[in-house]
Amino acid sequence: MKPTSFTPSPTAMRNLDALLVVSGAVLAVGLFVAPNRTGDSLSIGAFAMLSVFLGGLVFVAFEYITGARWSVPFRRVYEALASNLWIGGAAMVAVVVLRRDVYAWTPADGAAAGTFWFKALWLNPTWLVVRAAAYVTVMSLLAAAIIWTSRTQDRTADFSLTRRNRRLSAVTLLVFAPTFSLAACEWFMSLEPMWFSTVWGAYHFAGLATSTLAVVVLIALHLRRTGHWRSTFTDDHLHDLGKLLLGFSCFWMYLWFCQYMLIWYSNIPEETGYFVHRTQGAWGPMFIANVALNWVVPFLVLLPRPSKRSAATMARVAGVVLVGRWLDLYLMVYPSSSSAPTWGAWETAAVVFFAAASLWLIFSALAKASLTPVGDPALYSNRGNTHVTHDEHTEGNRVWT
Amino acid sequence: MSSRVVLASFADEHDVLDAVRTLRTRGYTVRDVFSPHAIHGMDEAMGLRPTRLTWVCFVCGAIGLFGMLWFQNWANAVDWPINVGGKPWNSLPAEAPVAFEMLVLLAAFGSVIACLAVNRLYPGKADATPPRATDDRYVVAIDVTPASPREHLTQTLESCRVVDVEDRLVAAEDKR
Repeated sequence: MKPTSFTPSPTAMRNLDALLVVSGAVLAVGLFVAPNRTGDSLSIGAFAMLSVFLGGLVFVAFEYITGARWSVPFRRVYEALASNLWIGGAAMVAVVVLRRDVYAWTPADGAAAGTFWFKALWLNPTWLVVRAAAYVTVMSLLAAAIIWTSRTQDRTADFSLTRRNRRLSAVTLLVFAPTFSLAACEWFMSLEPMWFSTVWGAYHFAGLATSTLAVVVLIALHLRRTGHWRSTFTDDHLHDLGKLLLGFSCFWMYLWFCQYMLIWYSNIPEETGYFVHRTQGAWGPMFIANVALNWVVPFLVLLPRPSKRSAATMARVAGVVLVGRWLDLYLMVYPSSSSAPTWGAWETAAVVFFAAASLWLIFSALAKASLTPVGDPALYSNRGNTHVTHDEHTEGNRVWT
Repeated sequence: MSSRVVLASFADEHDVLDAVRTLRTRGYTVRDVFSPHAIHGMDEAMGLRPTRLTWVCFVCGAIGLFGMLWFQNWANAVDWPINVGGKPWNSLPAEAPVAFEMLVLLAAFGSVIACLAVNRLYPGKADATPPRATDDRYVVAIDVTPASPREHLTQTLESCRVVDVEDRLVAAEDKR
């Protein structure tokens, strides 16, 4: 196989630039006019973007750890996400710095309000920012190492690089699990510091996985439609991504229900407060819509085989899942600071800004390396099922069989 | 009553895929393919219909889900109402786990039983699988009649890099 290159369409990039400038300007105004709402929206957007980029790294790591070969042909999409991890991370750290005084635990009398000693020790503005920077730095370094190794393999086709990435992937996953759980708790759960949920980290992981898969599906389909990947990204790949999306969507529902049912059943006031607020008034329909967008729609639509193999259906479901991801984060953040749902210029600007920024970053990253990891021996492996078409098998130089 | 098949063994997954395509275009009836693992594209190559097992699974799961919801509702709210922590008699969150478990149970049992029944598999049935098809060979079973010209079939198979050919008599009821 030969390296294929990708150049983003200049028109698309110009449009994204324009969107970024306009929405960025609105957000800058919003920071002074409506700091709370703008800050809330910024934290949703930055975290959604960061978790998609982080998800790219996690899926690359999954692939190496399991020795998966089916996803090797389009691994560069995951890597394009992961290579922007430091930018997404920097954006999130900036938001945390901006909002360090928003958290309800910030006032000095937090301990007097009945906070446990550990919370008093752990939750203070300086320490919060230091930890955020540390999480992001460690994960970004791991992402850089894995991507550097993978791109080097394009030239050398050296199997020892695969082995090195396997080791790096193991470290990545071990570091990812605690840092991501802690980050999710610190940045979102501590908005209501008296409330707690022990599946919070796992619940956020489910959201990370579904939104990452949705973005990967959309980018891969775009690359196929623009003719870069006519034979690389087959319906079989799409089918398998569809199965993963279906599975992780169910996983999200499972964790959502784990959290909800235990709190509903035990009925302890300090725990139920979170859901009481979110199920009443205008929040109620959004609470239901969250479940519909993140699970009911993906589950029912993706259940039959043909819909997982249809580009149009998969793209629509991916869109629904991304809207659901936004709503999920909105329902974590907004009810803690407003009594009723609000939507306006600041919220719209944040969604546009981070969507455009993510696309801009992903397209730029895709242009930096071959669209297929041509040096990866797994592409030419002859054993089992890789979805690699017969012609590609025989054309390839069999480095590792 | 029994019928004749030819068992043609191949050493490579791509060879067997090509062979099935070639045989079917030349008018042979491929009765079945035995392989140590699933082969992508084999369903289309053999001309198999999309499986109906998913529907069995879906219907069994739906029966489990709605049946169990109905039963819990009847038991907890109609036949013997019990006050648990002041919750309503028919609380959906409390019923969801059991209904989910029953969905999984019936969907799994239904799928397995339907698969075994359709394939007429039962404990103690004589094993007709060519031994190496569970290890390192891909075996195609081709229907033949005593009248059919064997030279043509042999030639076709050899052009597809066949490694072993065997004749076998099988019970007619195994024919689908």
